[in-house]
This record gives sequence, structure tokens and C-alpha cells, in this order.
Amino acid sequence: MQGPVIEILARQGITRRTFVKYCATLASMMALPPSAGRAMAEAMASAPAASKRPSVIWLPFQECTGCTESITRSHSPTLEGLIFDVVSLDYQETLMAAAGHQAEEALHAAMKANEGKYLLIVDGSIPLGLDGAYSCIAGKSNLDTLKEVAKGAAAIVAMGSCAAFGGIPKAKPNPTGAVSVADVIKDKPIINIPGCPPIPVVITGVLAHYLTFGSLPELDKHRRPKAFYGETIHDRCYRRPFYDQGKFAKTFDDEGARNGWCLFELGCKGPVTYNACATTKWNGGTSWPVESGHGCLGCSEPDFWDAGGFYKALSMPANPLKMAAAAAAAGAVAGVAVSFANRGKKGAAKAAHETTTLADLEK
Amino acid sequence: MPLDAIPIVTATAAAGQSGNAPVLLREIAEMVRRLLKDGEMSAIDLQALPLTPADIDWLHERLGEGEIAVTLDADGESTLIETNCPGVWWVTHRNPNGAVVSEFIEVAYVPEIVKAHRDDVVIGLEHLELLISDLS
Repeated sequence: MQGPVIEILARQGITRRTFVKYCATLASMMALPPSAGRAMAEAMASAPAASKRPSVIWLPFQECTGCTESITRSHSPTLEGLIFDVVSLDYQETLMAAAGHQAEEALHAAMKANEGKYLLIVDGSIPLGLDGAYSCIAGKSNLDTLKEVAKGAAAIVAMGSCAAFGGIPKAKPNPTGAVSVADVIKDKPIINIPGCPPIPVVITGVLAHYLTFGSLPELDKHRRPKAFYGETIHDRCYRRPFYDQGKFAKTFDDEGARNGWCLFELGCKGPVTYNACATTKWNGGTSWPVESGHGCLGCSEPDFWDAGGFYKALSMPANPLKMAAAAAAAGAVAGVAVSFANRGKKGAAKAAHETTTLADLEK
Repeated sequence: MPLDAIPIVTATAAAGQSGNAPVLLREIAEMVRRLLKDGEMSAIDLQALPLTPADIDWLHERLGEGEIAVTLDADGESTLIETNCPGVWWVTHRNPNGAVVSEFIEVAYVPEIVKAHRDDVVIGLEHLELLISDLS
């Protein structure tokens, strides 16, 4: 497994043009200019590949296996799948053939052989209630397992909103005392890939970045890779022009809905949600929630479950109203500013639980 | 319930158009001018812009299809079709299931991906030499 990436791919029957095409698509997905695709192809093709397949350990905690379901649908025989062949997935309960003591042995063997070098992927939140007794594997609490395995990891990927932010288990009243990976582990680089579930190609894209450049990508304040979470759903939404023109669907079956107008008034959380759905779409690029006529739920944001109703327009309390009005007055160009203002509003609304309509926003 | 009790509404031709497509024609014209002046290649990522499916259809119809269509069979079919405006290419990349994964308008004499890479030509020459050595 030595030599430039492009030669390894060639041995696997991947041509240069396939690679260039993949990079063009990846650049589009990462919201980079088209010229970046070519630059990326050149940089990645000539980068020396790792001499050994990096070890990856995947721990499932308080989760629904939706994240695993998502990544297995990363269009399996394609390049993403092949890049995946480049890692050694040493422990993944759902996908591995081993079970019971055998599986635990595999975990500890991988930890020992790759100490300080393996990549740890975690999906699911960690329950702290009753000393972690709410979720145990092999007689150990998730909390103990995480601490033990994290110790020798080079970096940790918190996969999905539960591992990244606590997710649905953490939703009020949080009966198990669920917390995120970053709440427990403080001394390791952590990268969050939130989403319920995350987009398959975003998962493989982050892994590809780690494998190609040997480092983690640039992160935002929620530790999300900026490449995929750099812009809001709203900013890249194909229905955005209707928002700018003030054309909104008022119900799910009215004239506006049929014309494909903006779903803001029906509770779309696109303006405050950072994710790549609007460009990568879902199910192999078939469609995504807004294209199917339903607003964004905001699943890649912290505490999305408690953010005040999926079908209510973005809420805000009385006080920040002036700030929002100023942003709205600046007009369509200030879309980003509105997004930020709304972001603040959402947080405040969670506490105050006052709802607002579009009319309030434009006062 | 009889089926005809369900109202069927036909969308008007302009339905779904955002008004963002016509301005793209000016941008493409500017890109073509740059190609003529400096030979600079450029591209528009159609998925990065707020364009509705109706906008894309409108643009596709206006630009039309010219004389050349290139099919690339690389991890799914890609088509590179020259529009009625020479130098302006409509590039569609698909995955093995036929779903569109990315779509660009490229302004170039020949899109970069069509040209053979020098390293690949070298490998091709080695293969040719192998074929020739088999002759004797």
C-alpha cells in the first residue's frame, strides 16, 4: 500500500477520470468553487498514501443504529466505498462477524496494536444517570468504555447528533442523563458529524480527508467540519429565491406548496441549520426534505428536538425583535445576517417559548 | 370515493421559476469573453446556486444542444454536451444508479476531463510497446 493515492486507485481499477469526477462532485458538495475540484484532484492524486491501513474502532452507545444504516448506504460499490477499503474497521458491532467475547477480543487487540494511532468513531450519547447503568456493553457502562478506548485514540469522530450533542436521548426531561462525547472526553481532538442521521457522503468525506491529509479538517464552533457545515440549508436551498421574493406556502396543500414556494412559515429550520442536505441530497442524490415538500427539522443543530415545534415558524421572544427587524430591513442581501439573528432567536425562544409569525419578523 | 373526486391541478408553465436563470446567461457570456481573451476556462456549479428544477429546464432549453456530446463511463455515466453556443458545455455527472451527483456549465474549448492526462498517455505508450513486442 505505498505510492501516490492515484496509483493505488489505479490498481483497484479506478481511472484518473473517475477520480477527477469524484473530486468535482466533492468540491460541489463542500460548497467550493468548481476550480477547487481540479486542484483537489491534483493534490490528492499525488499525495503519498499511508503505508498501513489506519485502524478504525467504532463504538455504539445510546443510539438507534440509524447512523450505521446511513453510512452503509454511501452508494456501496462506488469510490466512497473504495476509500473505505483503505481503512481497517476493527470493531463495529453491527457490521462485524464476531460476537461476544470474540468481538471484545478484537477490540482490545486493535487498541493494543495501534495505540495512540487509531481513529475512534462514536455513535450514540453517553448516559451518566445511575452511574451509567442505563446502557452497558459486555458488562461495562458506556461511560467506562468510552474513557478506556478514547485514551489510546489519535482522534475521535462523534457520529450523529446523539454523540455530537446528546441528541434525542438528551431531549427533555433527559431521563438517562445523556451527554455528548465532548462532555466526557476533554483531552483528545474531537470532530462532530451531527445529523439524524448524518449524510453518508459527509461521513466518508471526513474520513477521506483524514486519510488523505493525515489531519482533521477545519472545524466550526460546534466542532463540525466547515467544508460540509459551513453554510445553512437556507443559503443553499433551491427555494431560497421565493423567500427573497416573499412567496411562502401557508399550508402543505395550498397554491404556494404546489408552486414549490418557501416553507419558512410551515416551520422550516433551514435558516438556522448548518448541513449539506441542499447540495448532496439523500438516497444517492434522489431528493431531500425540502424538495419533498417538508421543511428542515434542523437535526444537525444542538438540541433540535427541544427547539420549539417542527411546524412552528422560527420563534423569538419579545426583546430581540428590534435586532431581527433591522436585519430584515436590510433586505434579501442580508440573508446571512438574518440567519444569524434567527439563530439567536431560536436559543432565546427555547427559554421563553414565545412564537412568532413572519409578519412579526418583518415589522 | 371515485377517483375523479380528487382535483387535478395543472401547473402553469412559469410555475416554479425563481427568476434566477436569465441572469446566468449574462454570466456565461462574460465567461465566454474571458475564454476568448485569455483562454481562461471556468465553470458554474449549478447545484451551488438557488435554482429550481424549472429554472434548470429553462436554461437547458435556451442553451440547447450543439454538435458534440461526450459520454464518459467512469463510476456512472457522465455526459458533456456542447450547447448551441460553442465553448459552452453542459456537464452532468451521474452515479452508477443513474442519479445526478453534480451538474456544471463549463466554458472551455474542450473540458479538462476529456483530455488524456500525460501520465496516462505514458502508460498507454507502454501498453502499445508491449503489444508490438508480442508481434515478433
